[in-house]
Formats: sequence, C-alpha cells, structure tokens
Amino acid sequence: MDTSQYLDIFLDESREHLQNLSDEIMKLEQEPENMDSVNEIFRAAHSLKGMAGTMGYKRMQTLTHDMENVFSEVRNGTFKVQPGIIDILFKSLDALEEYVENIQQTTEEGTNDNQDIIDALNSVLKNKGEVKPADKSAAAAPDEAAASAQPAESESAADAGAKKPRWQEISINDTEKMLIDKAHGEGLNVYGVTVYVEEACVLKAARAFLVFKALEKLGEVIVSCPSAQDIEDEKFELTFSLIFISGSTKDEVKAAIKSVSEIEEAFCDVYSVPEAAASKQPEAADKKPQEQSAEKAKPAAAVSAPVAAASAKPAASKPAAAKPVASRTVRVDIEKLDNLMNLVSELIIAKNSLTSATAAAASNGKNDYTLVNEQIEYLESVTTNLHESVMKVRMVPIESVVAKFPRMIRDLSKKLDKKMELYMTGEDTELDRTVVDEIGDPLMHMLRNSADHGLEANDVRVANGKPEVGSIFLDAYQDGNNVVIEVRDDGAGIDIEAVKQKGIERGTITPEQAETMSDKEVIDLLFMPSFSTAKKVSDVSGRGVGLDVVKSKIESLSGEVEVKNRFGEGSSWIIRLPLTLAIIQALMVVIGDEKYAIALGSIQTIEDVSPEDIKLVQAEEVIRIRDSVIPIIRLNRVLDIPPREDEGKKNFTVIIVRKGDKQAGLVVDELIGQQEVVIKSMGKYIKAPKMISGATILGNGDVALILDTNALI
Amino acid sequence: MDEIKVMDDQKRNESLNRHVELDTTQFIVVQLGGEQYGIDIKYISNIMKMAKITRVPKVSDYILGVINVRGVIIPTISLRLKMGLPENEITKKTRIIILTLEQHESIGVLVDEVKEVVTLDEEHIEKVSYEKDNKERFLSGIGKPDERLISLLDIKSVFSDVMES
Repeated sequence: MDTSQYLDIFLDESREHLQNLSDEIMKLEQEPENMDSVNEIFRAAHSLKGMAGTMGYKRMQTLTHDMENVFSEVRNGTFKVQPGIIDILFKSLDALEEYVENIQQTTEEGTNDNQDIIDALNSVLKNKGEVKPADKSAAAAPDEAAASAQPAESESAADAGAKKPRWQEISINDTEKMLIDKAHGEGLNVYGVTVYVEEACVLKAARAFLVFKALEKLGEVIVSCPSAQDIEDEKFELTFSLIFISGSTKDEVKAAIKSVSEIEEAFCDVYSVPEAAASKQPEAADKKPQEQSAEKAKPAAAVSAPVAAASAKPAASKPAAAKPVASRTVRVDIEKLDNLMNLVSELIIAKNSLTSATAAAASNGKNDYTLVNEQIEYLESVTTNLHESVMKVRMVPIESVVAKFPRMIRDLSKKLDKKMELYMTGEDTELDRTVVDEIGDPLMHMLRNSADHGLEANDVRVANGKPEVGSIFLDAYQDGNNVVIEVRDDGAGIDIEAVKQKGIERGTITPEQAETMSDKEVIDLLFMPSFSTAKKVSDVSGRGVGLDVVKSKIESLSGEVEVKNRFGEGSSWIIRLPLTLAIIQALMVVIGDEKYAIALGSIQTIEDVSPEDIKLVQAEEVIRIRDSVIPIIRLNRVLDIPPREDEGKKNFTVIIVRKGDKQAGLVVDELIGQQEVVIKSMGKYIKAPKMISGATILGNGDVALILDTNALI
Repeated sequence: MDEIKVMDDQKRNESLNRHVELDTTQFIVVQLGGEQYGIDIKYISNIMKMAKITRVPKVSDYILGVINVRGVIIPTISLRLKMGLPENEITKKTRIIILTLEQHESIGVLVDEVKEVVTLDEEHIEKVSYEKDNKERFLSGIGKPDERLISLLDIKSVFSDVMES
C-alpha cells in the first residue's frame, strides 16, 4: 500500500500524540494516582501504535506497543507508577520523537531499535513495576550506538587493508551514464581509477587535488567517490575512486597518478557500467538512512569541475542535507475556512453589484455615482475582512512551541539539581505561522539561561530568604500590533559589575568605558557575539551562551528584545514581535512635500500643539500632555526634509507613538488619513536606514515609505 | 504605461545565441552629458520614461530613491552622479533603464537620453589598457562602431558597491 500521501497527516498526528503523552506523563509524575492521565496515555500510545503500524514503521510500533503494555498493567492496577518508570517513559518518548524526526527527513524511521528501552519496559512488566537499578538504561545506549557503528568502520578498514580496485562501488546516475556512452561513441576510453594515499600522508586533500589536476590534463573526471567536495574537505580515508574519460592509455593514466608523491598505489582499468547501475548498492541498505540519503545525494554533487560545470554547480554547492520530505502544513479550523468561503462569495456579489451600478450610472447619464460609491464602500469592507480572515488562517497559537517547555524544565531541573517550576500563561496567543516556527529556539535559549544562570542554587535561595523552589515565568500576550513574550525568573538577576569585569577581561570594553556605561549598555554587552563564545559564563551570574543568536533571530523576524533587570530579584527578557507581516493599517502623513506611512498600531493619539507649548528640557524638545512629559521628534529633521516656510507660525500636528512604556511625539505637517497598505521590500540594492521599514505603493502608483516608529524612539 | 519593453525573452535568447555564434555584443547607447556610453543589452529588462522617484533619506548621494515598476519597488540611481558628473537635468528625453543584475533583483538607472542599439563585434571593441583611474574603472572597453567612440560600461563593476550592500 502506498502510504506516502498520508505522511503529512501521520507526522502531524504523531507529534500531537507525543505532545499529549509528554503532558500527561508530566501530570502523572505529580499525581501518580491520576487514573484519567493513565487512560489518556494508554489511548495516545494505542493510537500511535496503530498509526505507526499502518504506515509500516515496525520499530516505532514495537516501542509503542511495549509502552502500551506497561500502561495496560497500570490501568488494571497490577502496579503503580514510580519515578523510575517515568524516567523510562520519557526516554521512550525521546526515542519515538527521534523516529518521527527521521521519518520527516527521509521517510524512513531509522535503524535504532532502542532495544535498551524496550528491555527496560519489559523488565518493568516482569518485575511488576519494580525498576531494577541493574537495568541497562542510559549508559547502555551510547555503547550500543557505538557498537552498531563499529562494524561499518572495521569493514571499511578491512577493505582498505586489502587494497583493491574499488571503482565498481561508485554509483552513477543517468547523466553520468550518458556521458560514458557518449565517450564510448567518440572512441574515448572510460577508466575506473582507485587511488590509495600513503598512510603517513599529512595533506591528503592536497595530494588528491594534485591527482585530479594530473588527470584533468589527460581527460575528464566524471564522478568520484567520495564526492569532489568531500575530497576537498579531506572527508575520506586513505582511498578514493573515480571514473575518468580520456584518450590516453591506462598506463599513461597510471603514470600520471603515480607522478604525484605520497601516492601508495593506483589502480586503473577499463570501466564498464555495472548492470544495476541505477539501483542502489546492496550494502547501502544496511546503513543508517541518514547515511543513505547522503549517499544518494553524492552522485549529484560529485560531478567534478570541468564536466558540465554549468549544470552541476548549483547542485554541488547545495549541502547534502536534503530538505525534509514532508511539507509544512497549517491545520485550519473549519470555521475559519467557512468564513473565508463566505467572504469570497461576498466578493463576487460586490463585483457584480459594482458592474451593474456603473452600468446604471452610465445609462442615466447624469454622472450620478452615489450607487457606485456605495458599492465601493461595500467592496472595501469585504476586502478588509478577507485580509483579516486570511491572516487568521496563517495564525497559530504559540502553544505548539511552548508546550515542550515544561518537559525541558523538568529535565533541566534534574540535570542541574535545582528545584524549579515553570509557570506559563497566554499559550493561546496567536502569531503568524512563520514566526511561531522560528521563535522556539530563542525561547528555549532564554529559558535555559534562566534555569542555568538566572536561578540560584536551592541552598543559596534559602539563605537569601527566597522560596527554595525557583520560579520561571513565560507570559505571552498581545499588545497593540505586537505580541509580547516575556521570560522572567525570580533568580539572582544580572550582576552588572561582574559583566563589566568580564567585558574588560575580554577586551570588549576598556576600564574607562566601563566607568561611564549605563546599566542598559552593560546588558547590551551580553548580546554581543564575542560574549557568547565562552562555553561557560556562569561565574558572571550572567547569561551569554548564544544570546547574540537569540537577538539576531528575533530581529530577523522584525522583533526586538528588551531586558529588565533587578539585581538580586531576578530579570525579565521581553520579546516583542509584530503580529502580522505584509499588510498593515497605516496613517498617511505629509512631511514637507513627501508622503509617509506610519503603522496605526503604534499610534496612541494625535495632538494639536501650539508652538509655545514646546519646552526645552536638557536641550531636548518636549511637550506636556495630560501630566506626562513626552519628547518630540521633528520628522523633517530626522528625514532631511527642508522645513515648510510657515513652520513655527501655526500649530504643530504631533502624533504620539508608543513603544513599550516609552512615548514620543512625531511632528508632521499634514495628515492624509487612514489607509490599508501593503508592505513591499525595497530590494537589496538600497540600504535604507533602520527607521524606514519598507515601502508601499499608493493608489496613484507613487511609492511612499513606511516609517518604523520603534526605530525612532 | 509609458514604457517600452525592449525585447521579449525569446528575442533576447536569439540575440544571445547570435552573440555566441558571431562573437558580437549588442549595446544600448546612452547619452550622459557630452559622452556616449554603451550598456550591454543582456542586463537590460526595460527602458521607461521618467517616473516619480520617491526619495529615501540617509542613503548615498547617487541613489535617487525608489520607483514603482508594475508593482515592484526598484531603487534608482543617477548614472551621472555615479560617474562623477554633475547632477541630471530632467528633460523630455530623460529615461530610466531597468537593469536586472541578479535574479529578481533590479535597479533603475537614470540617463539623459537613450540613443540607439549598436551591434559590435570583437574587432570594434578596444580593451582599456591604461592605468585604471576613477572613471575608467567602470569601463570594459571602447567601442568604435563607425567614427564615434562609445565607452562600454562594465555594469558589474559600476554596481559592485550597490550589489554588495
């Protein structure tokens, strides 16, 4: 049965079941008596087993089957859940996740039997829930992996020892076959060549390069094993083979290779295309699927430089790691789809009404366009709704990423031997699918940082009068046009002095600079790449591992990171992400004689300010509005626009914008009105300043730039 | 729209093929001040009349801004300023040439006038041999179709700084 069309569904559902299992097992760890959880786990494991079986993933089926057996006994009351069992169960989940991962990458589940886990599960069954410490658990796993890897290696070592021609092992594809046929047609010789480099040779890649160079003088290398790229990167043992087209005799070829020093042996003979050339080599079947896929990818990447360089280059430059087989999908609530469907039908109605309205206006000849305008207004409301609905379809709750965090914190808690709890709110906050996919890693980094560096050891906490169990909070919520995700802990906070010290040690800042730096500037140091290269910065109480990566990731999603630090009380890391991409509601304004768009989401109010109300505080212009003092920014100065002649003679139009809890007033000359604008990229040939987030095309075809107020404040 | 599509893809391929066979290259000749420059036709996707250019603040002087070409926003530069000549005076003959330098990445170039298309074979192109200074840096050779001299622009080096950023 061909099951490939169900692969996507299988992957989606497996993940769902695995997540469900993970949640329930966590719950079970807290309340071992919770029968609802046991039943839920049993059901999920059962469905997973059934699905894996249908898809033909035997190993996955076996493992889930054994898990199911354990739960069946728990359900029957034969024995009770114990911490040891929980650990084994989590290990099983990890193994299952690995299978699912393999399936997504290669459609094969992999060859890891996870026999140790299965044995552990069976011994739980046999011993009525007792977990024997003698169980081969974690320790056994790496051994086994190493053992399974061993034969392959020793095999190749044995082969190398034998020193024999190995070019028949090269798998060739149709293009190469064609080239070989063509060479035969032109009366050229096709040779298989195997070269052994001396064991003592230091620069194997360089020697191989010289061999290639020598051969290219005589003819063309069609394909090599390992690939030319791998040879260049010295990713080969002592031997490599290649297929070679040349007009020279085989002795000449051999002599050419031997002329390169440190070559121990060279074999060269007439090459004939093996019978089953297109099919896979038999021995490859035993190998792990990852290797297999790499193997398959090789012939494509292996065509060496001179031959068909133009067509082969792009393939060769791509990494061998193939992109996942399964496509990415969004599961859409049927209600949202129905809504979309309705809107599309309304759109058609609107189009029809518009046609008849224009016809009516034309026939009565009185230029009466009220009907047309009415229909345009209707059309407008439909397109707005349509846009919203489509965006909603793309929106998914962040739950899918954050759901794995409780488990991660549990594992970290064990590993670091610190007691901690994770509290999450707002898991149902929705974000664009692309953003949700990307946000997982940065969040994980920050949680790890909080757990590892943020929270103090339990005894220190008690000594400082804090509760023994540390708390980490992950809060997500919507704030205007942004979604905010906050990672907070009640740990030690960032020790500013220690970070300064570290900065001076590393030469990032000078002691003089350190004197004058504000706390914020010091914290910014943590986000610098040089700070994160250190494996362990724990002595700085500080974070640092990969924070630069976190920051660049968030910025690539047009978001930003803010840190609030209370030394001794903890710190919070605030990620602010745009809710939607592509289309925004904007206020169009005129500055000088140029038009700009400002995202409506960041605008709080618009004020009419008389010139006398602008005061100077520390040489900065500010205004007072309803008891708050707000700095003002003259956009014409920021944007290099010559001021209008009447500037300062009449009232200013000031747009109050907000970023987090900061405010600013932007002075513009005129307001045009609210408009829906499509954000367009300006292309990579123009390096626009940060305050310009993009451009849009107006109704008359002109281009207007979009101001990013966040960059102005 | 008031723009002339120079040639469709098929024609372009034909011209490229011919170019391979006869070792000739077609150039569009443009006027910049008193001089004529040739731009290899393979880069040109479109020649349009002057359009409204939206200024972008805080960018290099020679970048005039961005224009809208059929819904795509394309940065536009002044070839005069780029070549160190005085600023453009916009006339009826002013044209914007849209060059496609890489896939999906285009740039507009403002020139005084587009004259004609010339076909040059190799013997009519003289390589620039003397020490390359500011302006000559951007030339790939001098074309001599008849009595005239046309400076042939090496597009990749003219836009090397733009392409890097």
